[in-house]
Amino acid sequence: MHWGRIRAVARRHAYVLWRSPHRFFDVAVWPLVDVLLWGSLGVFVAQQTDQAGRAEATYLLAGILLFHILYQSQIAASTGFLEEVWSRNLLNMMTTPLTEWEYACGVALFGLAKLAMGITVVAAAAGGFYAFSVFELGWALLPIGALLLISGFAISLYVVGLVLRFGQSAEVLAWGIVFVVMPLSGVFYPVGALPDILQPISLALPTTHAFTAARQVLDGRPLPWDELAASALGAVALAAGGLAFVTAMLRTFRARGFVTRFS
Amino acid sequence: MSSPVLEARGLVKRYRDLTAVDGLDLHVEAGERVALLGPNGAGKTTTLLMLLGAVSPDEGAVEVLGHPLPRRRSQAMMQVGFAAGYLPLPDRLRVREVLSLFARLYDIADPQPAVDDALTRFQITHLADEMCVELSSGQKTVVGIAKAVLHRPALLVLDEPTASLDPDVARRVRTGLAQLNEDEGTALLVTSHNMLEVERLCDRVVFVLAGKVVADGPPATVTAEYGHGSLEDVFLHLAERPA
Repeated sequence: MHWGRIRAVARRHAYVLWRSPHRFFDVAVWPLVDVLLWGSLGVFVAQQTDQAGRAEATYLLAGILLFHILYQSQIAASTGFLEEVWSRNLLNMMTTPLTEWEYACGVALFGLAKLAMGITVVAAAAGGFYAFSVFELGWALLPIGALLLISGFAISLYVVGLVLRFGQSAEVLAWGIVFVVMPLSGVFYPVGALPDILQPISLALPTTHAFTAARQVLDGRPLPWDELAASALGAVALAAGGLAFVTAMLRTFRARGFVTRFS
Repeated sequence: MSSPVLEARGLVKRYRDLTAVDGLDLHVEAGERVALLGPNGAGKTTTLLMLLGAVSPDEGAVEVLGHPLPRRRSQAMMQVGFAAGYLPLPDRLRVREVLSLFARLYDIADPQPAVDDALTRFQITHLADEMCVELSSGQKTVVGIAKAVLHRPALLVLDEPTASLDPDVARRVRTGLAQLNEDEGTALLVTSHNMLEVERLCDRVVFVLAGKVVADGPPATVTAEYGHGSLEDVFLHLAERPA
């Protein structure tokens, strides 16, 4: 692993973001829209109902903030790779000494910077508009955020694998896949609110346990280590599966000469 | 005899029912200028992509300066530069930024001298601060070639390097490549459909037909072997031959 190459990849993506104002939609506009939508919905529910409704408003704001950790990490890694596809730069990169790991680390490094920007927007909007502080979660924010970050990066591995296998047409997954995960993860509500048939799927997702842990902390209960452990186990399994999948797709990509699709 | 910078043995690549490359052997020695020739669909680009590790062969082996692919691809690519006339550059970067990026990917800690040297060698210093998206296709091709020589590779692989260039720019590119070959001993492996260019630039030609090598030698020898007056006549003769 060469740190210089990792930094070069991150810098390349920073140039692209800086020179493409429309790319700030993911980082600034979309998080702001989400906070306004879910925050206002929460305030409305709280105004109509009792103490439980006020708790739901907090769930919505904390949920959307945490969801953006998952969303931003997934979208940053997926679109980082897609940038090479869009600019037909894949073959240029593949014929340098850059390894797949170094490339992934460079994209992840830049993804962390994008994540910081996105979360800052969400936190500032939630604080400014609805007097909600991200620190209501306390230190629990760190492990829960880390688990969602790993899950987001892991999901992006599946997206990259599918783009390698099926070409650019699979890019729709980069934006769509977390919105499949979102309702199943109980971002805003407990798993029990889902239809019975979907609950086992929900419980198998590492994200579900992270959001459940967050809600328990918001309710004033101690950090539920069992939920964190279940989430960590799931995140590791999701990441291991993602790595195996993307490795297999890369092998197919090389074996079938798919690189010519991207050049 | 000098040591080979590139050694490919028994390369085979099949795409479903089509055998694109069929038991191809190729070696390139240090400082050699080799043209890989053949009609469209002969298997040239597939061969180059296998030599670069971007496509895996179904059979056969490739070594670059003793580094076997794919196991030591990263080390092998430290010794290889690649450019193709059809390959674009990242749009939202300036030329200098693209060259600096690739210099860093080749572990050049201070890219500026290497970038300036490459821009000067191909007489494109005036493009240094241009956005890549604003370049003509010919200018992009030359920047792509400059990108491929930043790290002074032992082997430069060029796929149709002058296909989109006007004669003046093509001549400057040929001069730059010949100079690089003389100054640094960089071996060249070039595909081209311009036989005049091949005769001017290369000292050995390898004709490929239906994925197999059918002729290999100095241009004059191959031309004489086939009883034709020029390399172009040999090309036409081979292209019209049933596979």
